[in-house]
Amino acid sequence: MDSNELKELMQFISSSNFVEFEMEQEGFKLRLIKAGARPEPHLDGRPGQSAGSGQPGTIEPAQVVIQAEASAASSAQPVVTEKLHEIRSPIVGTFFRSPSPDAPAYVEVGDRVKKGQILCIVEAMKLMNEIESDVAGEIVQAFPSNGQPVEYGEVLFRIRPLGSG
Amino acid sequence: MFRKILIANRGEIALRIIWACKELGIRTVAVHSDVDKDSLHVKFADEDVCIGPARNADSYLNMSAVISAAEITDADAIHPGYGFLAESAHFAEICQECHITFIGPPPEVIRLMGDKAMARRVFARAGVPVLPGSEGLVAGVEEAARIAADLGYPIIIKASAGGGGRGMRMVGNEEDLKVALDTAMAEAKAAFGVPDVYIEKYLEHPRHIEFQVLGDRFGNLIHLCERECSIQRRHQKLVEEAPSPALSPALREKMAEAALTGAREAGYVNAGTVEFLLDGQRRFYFMEMNTRIQVEHPVTENITGIDLVKEQIRIAAGEPLPYRQEDIRIEGHSIECRINAEDPLRFTPSPGRIRIFHVPGGPGVRVDTAAHQDCYISPHYDSMIAKLIVMGNSRTEAISRMKRALDSFVIEGIRTNIPLQRRIISDPDFERGELSTHFMDRYQQPLETPLAVSETS
Repeated sequence: MDSNELKELMQFISSSNFVEFEMEQEGFKLRLIKAGARPEPHLDGRPGQSAGSGQPGTIEPAQVVIQAEASAASSAQPVVTEKLHEIRSPIVGTFFRSPSPDAPAYVEVGDRVKKGQILCIVEAMKLMNEIESDVAGEIVQAFPSNGQPVEYGEVLFRIRPLGSG
Repeated sequence: MFRKILIANRGEIALRIIWACKELGIRTVAVHSDVDKDSLHVKFADEDVCIGPARNADSYLNMSAVISAAEITDADAIHPGYGFLAESAHFAEICQECHITFIGPPPEVIRLMGDKAMARRVFARAGVPVLPGSEGLVAGVEEAARIAADLGYPIIIKASAGGGGRGMRMVGNEEDLKVALDTAMAEAKAAFGVPDVYIEKYLEHPRHIEFQVLGDRFGNLIHLCERECSIQRRHQKLVEEAPSPALSPALREKMAEAALTGAREAGYVNAGTVEFLLDGQRRFYFMEMNTRIQVEHPVTENITGIDLVKEQIRIAAGEPLPYRQEDIRIEGHSIECRINAEDPLRFTPSPGRIRIFHVPGGPGVRVDTAAHQDCYISPHYDSMIAKLIVMGNSRTEAISRMKRALDSFVIEGIRTNIPLQRRIISDPDFERGELSTHFMDRYQQPLETPLAVSETS
C-alpha cells in the first residue's frame, strides 16, 4: 500500500461509521481506531470482571492512532511506522498507578521516564511488585485503570523510546 | 455451595470440571499459560486469566499466580484436577490461609498419604495387608541387603515421595543391589528433592486393583468399588476398566473393607483412591493412596451412575454424602483407553497440529477431551489428548464397543497410540481378562515391526 492509498483509506474510515478498522495482507498489518471510540474502562476496579477481556484504556492524544508493522519478508513500506515499546505485566495481579490511594500516580501519559524508573505496582497475594521501565522514553499510552485486575503478559504501558520519537 | 470455582488445570480435566460446575450452577474461572490462550477450557469457562508462560513452574505450578488469579476474580474455591498442584499439601495450606476452599482432602491428609512409607505404616496399623518390606526408610546398603535377604529376591526399591515410576528400581539379586539403591536414591533426590527410599517384596505378575472412596466431613465414608488398571507401560496406565474381571463378590467386599479401614485411619475426606496389588493366589497388598480425582474416574462413574467431580465439589462445600454404602449398585462394565499423542511403535511424543479430529459416538461411548480440529498439541504438556470410555451390559459388549469406537476415532496430523490400543483390546489375553502389570512386555519387541492393523490415525 502506498501513502496515497493509505491517506484515502484513512479519510474513508474517518467519514464512515466504523470506529475501528483492521486489515492484514502479506505481512503488513494496519489498525485504525477513531479517537474517543473506545469506552472508558470501568474505574472502580471491582474484581469479578474477566481480566481476560483486557480492556484497553482511552486512546490519546492523537486523533487517529496508527500502528503498522511490516514483517521482514514484506517489501511493503508502511507509511507510519512507530515502534512503541510495550511494558507488559510480568505477573497476574491487581494494577495500581500510585504507591498509595492518596499519592499521585507514578507516571502520567506524556511523562518522560528513565530506564529503571517505577511505573506502577502489580499486587499479587498482598505483595506489592513495583514494575520498572526497561527503557528510557515517553509514556504514550497507559492501559489499565487503578485497581483493575491484570493478567500475565497484559500490556500496561506503551513507551516511545528516547531518540526515536 | 460455592459461587465461583477456579480450575487450576488444563486439558480434558479442566473441561470435565467446567461441565460439573455448569450443571451445578457454579461460575468458572479458567487459568492458562500464554501458549494455552486458545484452549477449550479457556473458551468454555465464564472467565479466564493468563497466569504465566508455558513452563509449568511459571504457570500451572506457580502457586502465587494461581492464588492471585483466584483473588482478582473473587473465586471462593479452587479445583486442582490431577497432576500439577493436586497433591501439594503446601498449596492446600496456602488456599486455607487465603480463605479459598481447596477441593480435596485436608492438607495434613495429603501430606500423610504423599509420604508413601508413612502411608504404608498407617494402613498396616489399621490391619490392612501391606507388601512385606522395610519397616520405614532404608538407611544404607547394609540395611537394604539384610532386608532383601529376609524378603527373598526379587525386591523393589521405591521413593518415599514417589510417583510415576521415578526413584523405583527392581532388583533381582544381591549383586545388583548397591547400584540399584544408589540410582533409585539419586533419581528420588532429582525428582522429589529427597533421596528417601523404602523396600518392598517384588511381585512377579500382579494385577493393579484400586478402590474409589468418598468421604464427607461428618465421618461418612463409602467405596464405589474397584477399577483394574493392570495395563501399564513404565507405570503409566493405558487401559482401565471397572469392575475388575479378577474379583469375586467376596474378594471385592474384603478389599473394599480394607480400603475403607485404611482411609478411615488416615482421616480421609473427599474423593480418593486406594491402590492394591493382587497376586496369583488372590492375596492383596496395599500399595498407596492417591488424594485426587484420577484420570480413570469415568469408568467408575459409568458403573455406579455417580458423578465424582460433582461429589468432590459438594463434599468440599460441606454437604453430607447423599448415599449410604447400601445405595451403591454396580451395573454393566466400563473400559477406558487413554489416547496419547505418541508414536505407537516407539512411544515418543508426537506434538503438532491436529488436522482432522473425528470423535466416535453412538450408544455407550463417552469421549473426554480438550482436543479439536486445528488445535495444536504443545510439547510442553502431557501427551494424553483424549480418553475414550465405553459402557456395556457385559465385559464382552464393552470390548466390542471399544473396538468399533477405536476404529472410528480418526486423528490426523499427529501420531497417536490408537493402533496400539486396538492391538491391546483385541489381544486374546485381554479378552479373557488375563491381565498383569507385565502385560505390555509382550509388545516391547514385536512393536519394532510395523503393526498388522491398518493405520487410519
